[in-house]
Amino acid sequence: MSSPKSMSRATGWSEEVENLFRFQQAGYRDEVEYVQVKHGASVDKWPESGFVKKLQLRDNTFYYYNRRRECPDEDVHKVKVYVY
Amino acid sequence: MPRYRKELQAQAFTVKATMKNSVVAAPPSAGAFRERPTKPTTFRKFYERGDFPMALQHSSKGNRIAWKVEIEKLDYHHYLPLFFDGLCETVHPYEFFARQGIHDMLEHGGPKIQPVIPQLIIPIKNALNTRNRHVICNTLKILQHLVMSGEMVGEALVPYYKQILLILNMYKNMNINSGDGIVYSQQKRENVGDLIQETLEMFERYGGEDAFIYIKYMVPTYESCMIT
Repeated sequence: MSSPKSMSRATGWSEEVENLFRFQQAGYRDEVEYVQVKHGASVDKWPESGFVKKLQLRDNTFYYYNRRRECPDEDVHKVKVYVY
Repeated sequence: MPRYRKELQAQAFTVKATMKNSVVAAPPSAGAFRERPTKPTTFRKFYERGDFPMALQHSSKGNRIAWKVEIEKLDYHHYLPLFFDGLCETVHPYEFFARQGIHDMLEHGGPKIQPVIPQLIIPIKNALNTRNRHVICNTLKILQHLVMSGEMVGEALVPYYKQILLILNMYKNMNINSGDGIVYSQQKRENVGDLIQETLEMFERYGGEDAFIYIKYMVPTYESCMIT
């Protein structure tokens, strides 16, 4: 199981930051950890924007996300960006 | 010598009202805008029984719904009318669940929404008839989402305009004239008059060719946003 080498906080919003925000709301670090925990399951994404659409939590319930941006500006600096 | 005459209060359409020094009392209020209290909804009953496949998750960013079953596998004919029934609720968490649940189901419904439309009309009419400003605003936003949620949904709604547009006629001019002040309700999309105008424009846009005529029949002061 690969673990990240370092972590920093996001400074500005971008599509990657939006997806990281969605994963962290669901209780995962990022897509890498989600795929490891869910044993290779693919992540459902909205076709137009590429944002995450649906995630399964560790207790097997589901979170559904909007097509548009959900991460407000005041929460961008709380998003953690991991480097492997 | 001047005679002191007191003015007499009199009810309208009586003999006393015809006297010279009688003042006719104002008519009693008809109560068109009075809020109607709602009886407990089926949504609340089902929620308290635990029949809904969802749970409330509290997070630092507010509340979210966690679905226990994938939305794509839900029976829309059973669940969607129940959620629309919950639109009349004003108490937390019922109001939040109904609103967010409808939003999620409409986002992911696709072609499953259109066959359910006839069953949604009565809950929508009940929600609009509560005359509660907050409930009306929520219902209008959901109606806007509904017409955009799938193909043919807007056109499927057209035959039911005469049931749901009546109440909008009353609230259409509820705009505040604040001069040059800032009205935050407009920015937060809580201004009823503007929301109604937006909703009617969406109905016309997504309702097909006859939509404008039907809307005009129910809301005569509405002007088309598509025909110049």
